[in-house]
Amino acid sequence: MKPMTATPPQPRNDGGQTAALEAAEARLQSILQTVPDGMIIIDARGRIESLSATAERLFGYMTREVVGRNISLFMPMPHREQHDSYLERYLASGEPRIIGIGRVVAGRRKNGTTFPMHLTVGEFRFSGGRYFTGFIRDLTDQQMTEARLRELQSEVTHMSRFTALGEMASTLAHEINQPLTAIANYLKGCRRLLERMADDQAAVLRDAVDKAADQALRAGNIIRRLREFVARGESERRVESLPKLIEDAGTLALIGARENDIAVSFDLDPRADLVLADRVQIQQVLVNLIRNAIDVLSEGGPRRELGITTRTLGNNMVEVSVADTGSGIAPQVMTQLFQPFVTTKSKGMGLGLSICRTIVEAHGGKISANPRAGGGTIFRFTLRVAKREEQSLAQ
Amino acid sequence: MPSSPVVHVIDDDSAVRQSLAFLLSTAGYAVRVHESAIAFLSALPAIQDGCVVTDIRMPGMDGLELQRQLQARKASLPVIVMTGHGDVALAVQAMKAGAVDFIEKPFDDDVLLAAIRAALARHRQDAERAALIADVDRRMNSLSHRERDVLLGLVAGKPNKAIAHDLGISARTVEVYRANVMTKMHADSLSDLVRMAILSGVGQ
Repeated sequence: MKPMTATPPQPRNDGGQTAALEAAEARLQSILQTVPDGMIIIDARGRIESLSATAERLFGYMTREVVGRNISLFMPMPHREQHDSYLERYLASGEPRIIGIGRVVAGRRKNGTTFPMHLTVGEFRFSGGRYFTGFIRDLTDQQMTEARLRELQSEVTHMSRFTALGEMASTLAHEINQPLTAIANYLKGCRRLLERMADDQAAVLRDAVDKAADQALRAGNIIRRLREFVARGESERRVESLPKLIEDAGTLALIGARENDIAVSFDLDPRADLVLADRVQIQQVLVNLIRNAIDVLSEGGPRRELGITTRTLGNNMVEVSVADTGSGIAPQVMTQLFQPFVTTKSKGMGLGLSICRTIVEAHGGKISANPRAGGGTIFRFTLRVAKREEQSLAQ
Repeated sequence: MPSSPVVHVIDDDSAVRQSLAFLLSTAGYAVRVHESAIAFLSALPAIQDGCVVTDIRMPGMDGLELQRQLQARKASLPVIVMTGHGDVALAVQAMKAGAVDFIEKPFDDDVLLAAIRAALARHRQDAERAALIADVDRRMNSLSHRERDVLLGLVAGKPNKAIAHDLGISARTVEVYRANVMTKMHADSLSDLVRMAILSGVGQ
């Protein structure tokens, strides 16, 4: 597949420059062969002069098939029909729309399919003619990555809404259960006292008090069922690679971290590898913790560092920590940090860390927060290591 | 109706604490309430007997940690765990950590009272057994070296003659030691003596 140029523009003055021309031609050939981007040269009327090897591959055409044909061949509608008018407008007005700017457009392959590409156009003059060079970068892989990222993001977002609901139901259940317990206790105690009274009315009262207590217990049962309903099928644990979990969650959570000038470092213990976890849930924990760290670091301060570390603990557990160099957490907040509806954020529900705790504890781990030496906070949580037989199952 | 043992109620919610105190007192129990596991532990040295009814999720020290602390302090009080979360996993952990029972809030009084009765009964048996063992150990320690040798021989089911041969003493001397052992151990019969020896783990 040897790319070639069309007849090169002939210089008018054929002096002793043939050798120089040949050298230039050889240079161009070498560039066309090796340039990693697709490269296409067209003349002022939009006719194709040459294609690079990558461009041939991208569009599925051989150079000899397309030399002299209009460049609109490589474009889907509507550019296909209008490209000539774009060119004419530029030649008439000299006002660039794409030259020197670059933009993302769709390319059309020989087989009619299209692909996303980034196009940069340059212009040069040669022997009185005007030529345009297009550089094309295929964005298919990049867009697939972005699509996968979006998918991951929507999974975690969905899950976090779902667990937020579960967490609210669970909190509600706990908060309402307490007074219900007190009501039932008082009523049952009253019934016991009434049992010992001989009064005629006492029997009637006893019956009424008993029924009232039963209703308190019934309310408790309704809450229990609600909890079970919310909790159903929420967790699916598999053998997962911890570094991969952290990488994915980091990619999601760190969007925007670079803009805020935050230095992110990873220190992953190679021995802390396979864990038993529900991927989406643990990613949610990581995203929550990393996001919190970014939030606090974005408030300012002399150091903006975020460190994610893993290490193995002795008892078949691994520990993941997320440390920031932010302003730290006030001691009075620290004690109730993982309680629901506790927040220091103006726009927070105070459920994030409470959900983290629920998820980590459901995985048989523990989560904690401590001041970081030198300022800031370290959040740590533990996960169960996948046992050998579980590992072999995974492989 | 039980009277002497105290039921210790630990819950961070005062309404739950007070209502439990009321309910248990109507059932004839002496009740002491504690607002946290830590408060209970600081009162522990003065506590002799009874059982603990504690919430599992509390700020500061939770019910599981309390169980661990009680074990570390060799406090044998039976623990009944209350859970308001319907959290089975947590309740299982509590049972593994040695809780005698767990009940879900809100609960029927009969369920709670049955759990307390069972816990106290078991605790009483354990305590009686522990007292008996301590008593037997004390007697066992009052035996002389030779008397102890003879006791071991008896527990192993050997006749006097065999014991005398093993120890290189006369059968007549063994008989004297044997009589001393029976007296010191307050044993009415040989079977009584063997039972006591087994209880204190001698000869096993």
